[in-house]
Amino acid sequence: MLLRASGKVTGDAFDVHVITEGGTAAPSGVPHGEMLIAFAEAMVGDDEAILATARQRVLIALGSEALVDAAAVVSNFERMVRIADSTGIPLDDVVYEKTVDVREELHLGRFRSAANTPKA
Amino acid sequence: MAEISYATAPVPVRADLLAAHRRAWQRLARAGNWWTGAERVAMAAEVRQARHCTLCTERKTALSPYAIEGAHDRASTLPNAAIDVIHRVTTDPSRLTKAWFERIMATGELSDAQYVEIIGEVVAVVSIDSFCWGLGMPLHPLPEPEPGEPSRYRPATAVHEAAWVPMIPVHAAAGEEADLWHVGRTANVIRALSLVPNAVRQLLDLSAAHYISMENFMDLTWGRSLARAQMELIAGRVSALRECFY
Repeated sequence: MLLRASGKVTGDAFDVHVITEGGTAAPSGVPHGEMLIAFAEAMVGDDEAILATARQRVLIALGSEALVDAAAVVSNFERMVRIADSTGIPLDDVVYEKTVDVREELHLGRFRSAANTPKA
Repeated sequence: MAEISYATAPVPVRADLLAAHRRAWQRLARAGNWWTGAERVAMAAEVRQARHCTLCTERKTALSPYAIEGAHDRASTLPNAAIDVIHRVTTDPSRLTKAWFERIMATGELSDAQYVEIIGEVVAVVSIDSFCWGLGMPLHPLPEPEPGEPSRYRPATAVHEAAWVPMIPVHAAAGEEADLWHVGRTANVIRALSLVPNAVRQLLDLSAAHYISMENFMDLTWGRSLARAQMELIAGRVSALRECFY
C-alpha cells in the first residue's frame, strides 16, 4: 500500500479508505484525488458516457499530460492484478509484514485472492 | 507490419509509451517460447472476443462463475483450455482459483510454461487496449503474425514455490536471466511470469512506461505530471475494484 507510504515521505496523512470505498469515502487528501478516482472507476467500468465525462474533467483540471499518465497507471494495474490473480502468487513477506494495519483497516482479506497468501 | 500509432489520439501520448506499445506488438507477432506468432496474435484476438462472449457475460453475473457451463464464443482455433484461460483472465480475474488452474492443467492441453506465456501476452493486450479505452480512441489493429518456431526455452532454475506456477527464485536470476532483476531485489508479481523470461522483460518494459521503472520504484517522491501519491491512489483503487489482494 504505497499511497500511505508516499504520504509519509511528503509529510501528508492520506486517508486510504477511498481505495476500497471510492466516492462514498471521506476525501483522501490527495490533490485532485476524487477526480482521479472517478476516472479510474470509469476506466475499469464499461460505460462510455461516464468515462467521457470523467476524462474531460481530468483534461480540463489537470491537462493532457496528466490524462495520459492517469490512463497509463490505470491500464498498468489492469495488467498487474491479472498477473497476480492468474498465477496465484502470495503477498511478498516484507509487504505482508508492513501492511498488516492497512489490510485490516480496509478488510482486504475478504478478496478471494487472499487465499493465495495462506497466512493472510 | 503496420506499427502502433497515436497520431490520431485525442491528446499527445508520451514517446516512451508509444515505443513500449510498439515493442509489445512486435513481440506479440513473433514466435515466443512455446507459441507461434500466429497463436500469440490469436490470443490477442481472444482477449477482444472475450468482452463480447455470452458465456463470459453469464459467468460474470453469476454468484459463482464455476456454476455456469457452456462454450465460449471463440475467435480462434486455440485449444479449449487456452480459450478458457484467456476469457476468464480478461473478464473475471478476481475469481480465478487454484482449483480452476489445476483443472486447466489436468486437461493436458497446456503446459505450465504455455499457460504463463498466455498470461504474459493477455495482460499486455488488456493493458494496451485499456489505455486506448481510457483516452477514448479506437483499439490498435492487431499485428500480422510473423513466421518462426517457438524456442521452447525453459529456465532451469524455475521451481515450484508458493505460487500456482513455477518461478525463478529471488536469488537465482543469473546467467540468461541475470537481467530480469537485481538478485534479491524483486517482487512476486514480477517473478510470477519468470517461467517465460521474455514475459518478465515485457512486463518491466510496459511498467516502466505506464507506471514506474524498477530503478525508481522505491523513490516515493518520483512522479510524472502526476505526483507519486496520485499514481498510488489510482493504483490502489484499480486493484480494489478488481478485488486483487496482492
